[in-house]
Amino acid sequence: MNDLIIQQIANGIIIGFAYAMASVGLTMIFGVLRAINFAHGEYFMCGAFASWAVIHYFQLPYIISIPVSIIISAGIAVIISRIVMEPLVDAPFSTAVLATLGVYLILQNTTRLLFGGTYKFFSGGWLEMLTIMGVTIIEQRMVLIIITVAIFLFLEWMIRRTRIGKAMRAVAQNHEACIIVGINIELVTRFTFCLGVLLAALAGVLMSPIIVTIYPTMGEGMTFKAFAITVIGGMGNVRGTFLSAIFIGIVECFVAGFLGLQFREAVGFVALIIVLMWRPYGLFTLKGRF
Amino acid sequence: MINTDQKILKANRLSKNYGAIQALNEVDFEVGSGELCGLIGPNGSGKTTFFDCCTGLVPLDSGMVMLEGQEITHWPLHRIAREGKVLRSFQKNVVFGSMTVEDNLTLAGQMHIFPNILSTFLHGLTTRNRLKSLQLRAAELLDLVGLSHMRSVKASELSVGQQKLLQFAAVLMPSPRLVLLDEPLAGVNPVMIENLSTSIQQANKEFGTGFVIIEHKIDVIMEICPRIVVFNIGRKIADGSPAEILRNQEVVEAYLGV
Amino acid sequence: MKLSQIFRSKTGNRHMQFKMGIISSMLFIASLLLLPLLGNKYHLHIAILSMIYIYPALGLNLIFGYTGMLSLAQGAFFGVGAYTTALLAIHYGWPFWLTFVSSGVFCAVISLLLAIPALRLRSYSFVMCTLGLVVIGEAVSKNWVSLTRGDMGISGVPRPVLSLWGPGFVVSQVVHYYYFVLMFAILGVFLFYWVVSSPAGRCMRAIRDEETLAESQGVYVWAYKLNIFALSAIYAGLGGSIYVLYMTIVSPLIFQMYHTLLFLIIVFAGGAGTVGGVVLGAFLFVAIPETLRITPDLRMIIYGLLFIFLAFRMPNGLGPFLVRIGESFFSSQPKR
Repeated sequence: MNDLIIQQIANGIIIGFAYAMASVGLTMIFGVLRAINFAHGEYFMCGAFASWAVIHYFQLPYIISIPVSIIISAGIAVIISRIVMEPLVDAPFSTAVLATLGVYLILQNTTRLLFGGTYKFFSGGWLEMLTIMGVTIIEQRMVLIIITVAIFLFLEWMIRRTRIGKAMRAVAQNHEACIIVGINIELVTRFTFCLGVLLAALAGVLMSPIIVTIYPTMGEGMTFKAFAITVIGGMGNVRGTFLSAIFIGIVECFVAGFLGLQFREAVGFVALIIVLMWRPYGLFTLKGRF
Repeated sequence: MINTDQKILKANRLSKNYGAIQALNEVDFEVGSGELCGLIGPNGSGKTTFFDCCTGLVPLDSGMVMLEGQEITHWPLHRIAREGKVLRSFQKNVVFGSMTVEDNLTLAGQMHIFPNILSTFLHGLTTRNRLKSLQLRAAELLDLVGLSHMRSVKASELSVGQQKLLQFAAVLMPSPRLVLLDEPLAGVNPVMIENLSTSIQQANKEFGTGFVIIEHKIDVIMEICPRIVVFNIGRKIADGSPAEILRNQEVVEAYLGV
Repeated sequence: MKLSQIFRSKTGNRHMQFKMGIISSMLFIASLLLLPLLGNKYHLHIAILSMIYIYPALGLNLIFGYTGMLSLAQGAFFGVGAYTTALLAIHYGWPFWLTFVSSGVFCAVISLLLAIPALRLRSYSFVMCTLGLVVIGEAVSKNWVSLTRGDMGISGVPRPVLSLWGPGFVVSQVVHYYYFVLMFAILGVFLFYWVVSSPAGRCMRAIRDEETLAESQGVYVWAYKLNIFALSAIYAGLGGSIYVLYMTIVSPLIFQMYHTLLFLIIVFAGGAGTVGGVVLGAFLFVAIPETLRITPDLRMIIYGLLFIFLAFRMPNGLGPFLVRIGESFFSSQPKR
């Protein structure tokens, strides 16, 4: 029994890492733009599909598909940033909801139109087994862990030490002051958004070999999870997002393991509602933005 | 309990801190019926916080607030407002942008006429009569501030000065006994300052409404108000006629930052 | 009147707007009454769906268009209302009016319970919390198999029976359903108009514009929000009830994002904060896609583009735009 619990926790942590990488963009763009991005999960899906398309249509190896997918996602990110996200600076809250819903509809249904709505089998990935310290996991999971840790360390460093990180924090706090000091809010928004999209897409690419089947509506579930994760962790709080993603990952695995797979999707929102009832401002907001 | 007290608002040893900042420090303040009182002091001396605490917008740390002899210290904002006895205006230029000038005033007056929430959902003869009386009052006040010709204009289309006048008229709708005005003249052109000052004095004379006015335009306030109270760093440091205040050494030092 | 003057005139003459509203409503209702003579069963079916969706759309309009709270819970209560009516009708054989009312009551109760904690949340947490209700609703309907029969759904919901005594008249043909639903739609819109034109409606708009100012003028904001949340949930639930009385089946699919998005586009594109705009929006966004026969994918892409366009260019929807056109049509003098 103990083994099973430890296994679930381990699974949960690994899934949580992927969720963290997929969700951190949502929290960062909220911090900078005060906008909820309903399309966030779609970028996760785009990453996965771009990688799949490269493997399926061009017969290129998985490792090539990763940078290709990143480049495609970057292209999509810049276009959407120019047309939708940057105009949302200082816009009312509901405008962001509407506009990002539009993006969600466009991305999801364009993918459907291009590739069809059925489940696709993702054949790439490093699927050999690896044994470390008596624990056996697939190589892919190891890659996921390493890359996620690296990314979050990078984010920590970037936000606290670099100029762009300081600019992000400045924009998150006070737009007027930024204008006075000469920080270009649109550029910071574009950077933050694209970074978030790329991370979500990367999460998509890295997760695909693990979840094996991908489909155009998988982004929706990820959006919902990201919502729950970022609100629990505190909107705008990167560290909080990381911790709450792991929390959600672990809870999901336990629920799936002991209650049944079918409850998995609801876990995020049930946890969200419970946490919000207890602490309306999220669990980690005390640590402040970023 | 029979209220033999002439004072409308009585604040006793009010204290409020925001973390490390002591916004109010044991402040005592009394306002009588029909008084025109100016409240001045350097920025951050606690004037707006004082208004906030007296009207229930912000909870007090300690102290007591009495309204016509009744304790209202822990009452929420809307409850104190519904009494219709003491109301306040805001520093920010706030109006209900999507509604017409007339509607803005109707709302300002209606919560005191309708006894409960359910009654606001009904139509019917009683409701219509109540609304009619509000319309008359609104017309009267629009006359006072000179906005009668704008009654059907959407509030968001008014100029800043006109919105200030609207806020002023709105706060007078329920015929309160005391009005707390928070920087009514801020950012307003000299002609409008004249208008507002006249309106304040007129309201005081015609309706017997008392005013406590926070202002930084000290010359105007000294002209209008026979009584001036001075705050500094959360304390009341002076209370008297404009002449007395000008002679007060502590007041001079507070403003000069000595 | 010049086209540019139409776009520039902002201040409305209230009296004229009222008359205009009455006239256009009469015309609209008249044409709806005559529709069965002009259209075939398919057209009637589309119109019935539009009129059903008016209910949750009005609910969203009430809470967002008039009170300024973005709640995405309409989809959840729409589904709850549908399931409530279905279960009560099948297991207890209750007549339609009783199941209809029960759906409303049940949604009211649940919404009040949920609103008390939910109203403490900031606007973005509130949005996500209400969205969560839809997801949870879907999960419950899929997994509480003993009650809802899971993915298989509930079918065979008895058709409404109109009777004062005796056997009565079973509403089964599309034409009969048409007038049945039309009656409900008219009642629903009328009640909605009643609420928003009352003094309470003024309070709602005040809360939407400047909440603290409203409270400082005596509006018990929290209590109003509670009432509005319940009222919007009731509307959605009643809509769900009529839906299942018409479709006679309900499944977890009723909780899909499709419905939530449809309600959003009806209200936003139609005109949040107006009555006529939302009613028109209900017909436009159900009827037009159906008649155009585009694939669902392309339709959603177009909706997506529409959302983006509306968000930036016409955040108030088509409603005010149509009002201005109507004003220019009805008035002979140039506007100030």
